[in-house]
Amino acid sequence: MKIFWAVVGKELLSFIRSWQLVFVVLYAFSFEVYIAGSGIELKPRNIAVGYIDASGGGLSQKFLSYFHAPEFLEPILFESQEKLSQAVFDKEIMVGLVFDDTFEQNFRKNHATTLHVLLDATAASQAFTALSYLQNIAINFTARTFPVELVTHKLFNENADNHTFMALTELLSIVTLLSVILTAVVFVKEKEEGTWDIMLLMPVNAKIIILAKSFSQVIIVMVGIVISVGFVIFGVFDTPINGSFFAFLLLSFLYAFTGAGIGLFIAAIAKDVMQVAQLSIVIMLPLIFLSGAWTPIYAMHPWLQTFSLISPLRYYIEGTESIFFRGTPFLELYPYFLGVTLVGSVVYAIGFRKIGRLF
Amino acid sequence: MKLGVVKAYVLKELTEIIRSRLIIMVYLMPTMVLVLFGYGIRMEVTGARTLIIDNDQSHYSQLLVSKFEHSKYFDVTIEKRGEAKALDEIHKAKNDILIIIPESFEKRLLHGQTTQIGVFLDAAFPTRGSTMESYVKGVVLDAAGQMLERLAGNAPTISINQRTLFNQAMRDEDAIVPGLIGLVMLIAPAILAALLIVKEKERGTIFNFYASPVSKSEFIAAKLIPVFLLHSINIFILFLWATYLFEVPFRGSFLLYWLTSELYLVISLSIGMLISIITRTQIVAVVLTVIVTIIPGFLYSGILMPISSMVGVSRYEAHIFPVMYYNHILYDVFLVGEGLASSKTVTYIFILALYAFSMLTLGSFLLKKELR
Repeated sequence: MKIFWAVVGKELLSFIRSWQLVFVVLYAFSFEVYIAGSGIELKPRNIAVGYIDASGGGLSQKFLSYFHAPEFLEPILFESQEKLSQAVFDKEIMVGLVFDDTFEQNFRKNHATTLHVLLDATAASQAFTALSYLQNIAINFTARTFPVELVTHKLFNENADNHTFMALTELLSIVTLLSVILTAVVFVKEKEEGTWDIMLLMPVNAKIIILAKSFSQVIIVMVGIVISVGFVIFGVFDTPINGSFFAFLLLSFLYAFTGAGIGLFIAAIAKDVMQVAQLSIVIMLPLIFLSGAWTPIYAMHPWLQTFSLISPLRYYIEGTESIFFRGTPFLELYPYFLGVTLVGSVVYAIGFRKIGRLF
Repeated sequence: MKLGVVKAYVLKELTEIIRSRLIIMVYLMPTMVLVLFGYGIRMEVTGARTLIIDNDQSHYSQLLVSKFEHSKYFDVTIEKRGEAKALDEIHKAKNDILIIIPESFEKRLLHGQTTQIGVFLDAAFPTRGSTMESYVKGVVLDAAGQMLERLAGNAPTISINQRTLFNQAMRDEDAIVPGLIGLVMLIAPAILAALLIVKEKERGTIFNFYASPVSKSEFIAAKLIPVFLLHSINIFILFLWATYLFEVPFRGSFLLYWLTSELYLVISLSIGMLISIITRTQIVAVVLTVIVTIIPGFLYSGILMPISSMVGVSRYEAHIFPVMYYNHILYDVFLVGEGLASSKTVTYIFILALYAFSMLTLGSFLLKKELR
């Protein structure tokens, strides 16, 4: 036990001594999370609307008055259709509306009338949302008598608040990156310098050293998580946590150990830091991708869905979402704990065995 | 700059890279990222697991239910076990949407009284939540249009005739894959270049450079040329994946694509090199590169959201990173095809060139040829 703490202490000390590293890690856990959370809105905003109007103006202006901030910018009048198309091609305008001369006449005569829309669909999801806004406005004109209200309850995250969500996703990605890379490098550096072989030959239990070395990196990551959640997630974004904070910490701890396990595995294969950098990207990107962070799991290919069961990040993200937003009680979180623990211990065991072998 | 010296140095660097098996990584990584993410990222929500409780069981309510059933966006189950059970399923993340059609829905509708359709949806994933909400609205509005026609006879209606440009089918691949190329071409070269100089610092071999008559610019050129050549091939590989595997149309000039990509490659390499120059240990260089390339690369690539929709700090940050300018050109050559005719493209190429030049100048300025 004494050896264990001595190694942990030594690793923490050498971490703190490299002020550049401390700075970079702190930056990742604080500003990076903040920036991702503060500015990124996935909802369409400031959509640039341009129009040409040959209809005379009454109805079209009324139609245009529905475009308001923050979703839309003030609609801009263009002189001709060519100028409008050019602006759409230059991506200055995302939605171009063409009110032709029959637009108002037909409407006043109780006929069906058509609004022509040019849509820049390079950002498909925004275009789709813009289109459904348009349909909504059109229905508003025709169906003032339609007596059905849609009452939407967005569960767990009332305002569909992106800040918290993006900040959390960012934090989880950073935890993944750092727990893997830091651990891998700690071991590979010794390998590069040749001290690792000596370490394994020494009459101390190699298992204790491996455990202590990876534990020290887990501590660093855990401190980072606490700082990040405390200052950024709770402090700046003022996120409510519906579940238990302790459960989140425990889950993070287990997950950081899984990350360390992956790091051990990479360290066992890699010969120098350059290989660590490349390998960890190659291994981590699929892990992040399969976790459901970017795309919901049930929307993936069936075989990718099965594959995603081995991504520990999947359990971590779902668990964290449940704790923060759904407020799932502690005992019902067991699938996530089980998932992280199971995948984690397998990965850790493999890495542990591989790095502990001398030749 | 003496070409002979540079050539010898380049050969040495190239041999080192090839020997270290990194060569596989250089080509494996970009392709892997493109294929995985190209197939994986889906912005639209299809097959959202939907529960519908129909308390009315009338003609109109069933019309509405069948609208949902026939949409590819919803995977509908008629819920008979009651509201509490259904809500519980959403809490356990087993279902995404719950729609409740109230009793006497039809009766009130025909009498012109207000009725409310209750929609509960899982917004723990906010984008998905909002997207699903707009789909539900869309279906209800669509059904409303039909019902109105029967109810109201010939009232005036406005129909939307949209023409989507550049990405007519609204394929996610077309919207995502070009952006991914910009992302990959930022991350992979930067990580490779980030360790080139700091590795020598940590091992002490940098003293060879301090003591030798090789000049600073020769040293930088010798370090960057091999990785530049290796990664130049990726420009073609990624192009082939995009056009053949993902069938993204290519409407612009290939020459423009190729040249701007080379320019962009110089930028991402010099970002890596700059990191390599200012850091002292390899681990710092790796973590720093990952932080300044992957995360901003993804956020500001225009894949997740157009830059014009950003606010505050991130809007400025987006303009600082080169990925925004390059991706504009990428989307142009793939989907739009305006090319140099658009003054915006020309400006952006100019900005990229300026960027590359200043990064390289800054690098050679910061590189010290003596012991600190």
